[in-house]
Amino acid sequence: MKRLAFTLGLMALVVGLMLMVTRPSGLPAEALPSHIVDTTNGAYLFHAGGCASCHATPETVSEPPVLGGGLAMETPFGTFLVPNISPDPNHGIGLWTTLDFVNAMHLGVSPGGSHYYPAFPYASYTRMSLEDLMDLKAYLDTLPEARSNNQKHALKFPWNVRAGIGLWKLLNLNSAAVASVPPDNLVLTRGRYLVEGPGHCGECHTPRNWTGGLNNNRWLAGAPNPDGEGKVPNITPDEKGLAAWSQNDIEYYLESGFTPDFDTVGGSMVEVQENMAQLTSEDRAAIAAYLKTIPPLH
Amino acid sequence: MSRILVSMALSMMFFASVAVAGSDPIEVRQHLMEETRDAAKVIGAMLKETQPFNAEEAMAALKVWKKTATEAGDLFPAGSETGFDTEAKATIWSDRAGFDAKMENFNTQVDAAIAANPDNLEALNAAAGPVFKACKACHEDYRVEKED
Repeated sequence: MKRLAFTLGLMALVVGLMLMVTRPSGLPAEALPSHIVDTTNGAYLFHAGGCASCHATPETVSEPPVLGGGLAMETPFGTFLVPNISPDPNHGIGLWTTLDFVNAMHLGVSPGGSHYYPAFPYASYTRMSLEDLMDLKAYLDTLPEARSNNQKHALKFPWNVRAGIGLWKLLNLNSAAVASVPPDNLVLTRGRYLVEGPGHCGECHTPRNWTGGLNNNRWLAGAPNPDGEGKVPNITPDEKGLAAWSQNDIEYYLESGFTPDFDTVGGSMVEVQENMAQLTSEDRAAIAAYLKTIPPLH
Repeated sequence: MSRILVSMALSMMFFASVAVAGSDPIEVRQHLMEETRDAAKVIGAMLKETQPFNAEEAMAALKVWKKTATEAGDLFPAGSETGFDTEAKATIWSDRAGFDAKMENFNTQVDAAIAANPDNLEALNAAAGPVFKACKACHEDYRVEKED
């Protein structure tokens, strides 16, 4: 009996310590570089990241986009309800400082000092440069305000314990690049940045481990479809992936939505592809070059 | 040589489609979609510059698309919702007006592409682009995503 009480006490202490160590904390203000913001680059990154695909008010297609949130994302962990990130001061993120935004994107920490769920793919955005994040925030500030209220996620235990996300971050949040490419190859480093950072391709194309973190040993090797049915394809240069696709085929697919077999893009990839079509041909070429370089996985 | 082969392939596709007429509408439309895709490959290869531009072959492919635009709408009658591993989505029948509008858009874009009579790569790109978009838009709403 005594031993059980001791064990339980020790476990509580360990968990308590872990939660304390992993409690949310943001960057100091001096972490931001001096940088003159460029909203054009911000808009470009907005497409590269496909922000509107999740954050736009459902059933609204508008230019400029209205980011009122409300989309329900069904996942094995429960239902996430996407928040309002329009510049409305009461319902959206209009009162956020640039530092608040950087802390959310790099560390998954809210201005109020709590953890965000990684359904918001900050584990990818953590690889974005501070300058790019500053530009993106400046662009978001130019968008229309939306007055829709945020709704509470409906998650299963233990995922509904927000403090536990600190432990998740300890295991899964890492700003280091996944694939190694020659650092002096500017095409490959750019492609890697777009795929692993803003593009957050791994969030769907890489399978997850039991904690819900990405299994980087299977980087881009395909995964179950988070939307439910079917699979998200392997996009490594393996015969089960894109081995048969030339560099040109990948570029053309991202630009037009047509596979080498002249089938059309489908499912959630439609919106992604349409965003990729907005990028420069140089950036699409960089993405294709990166995808042809990563380790082939069967 | 490759030109002759492509022309032969295109005319064979045309006659093959006549040969299957009379069977189940699902099979007929599946065959029609294959022809449509094969024509897209001919134009796509030119746009990707893996094949040289050839105005005649491009026009022959555009005419295959015109055939699709003329025939496809009638190949989704009531009662052809299931069978033959069809990838047709139930929304075709529940939202017929929406489906017909997408088909009509495809037809309009094909007509415009044929009227443009593209005689160089740039013109072909401009003519085929909206048709490709029309294919994609209809598949997005009215085709089931199959698992490979």
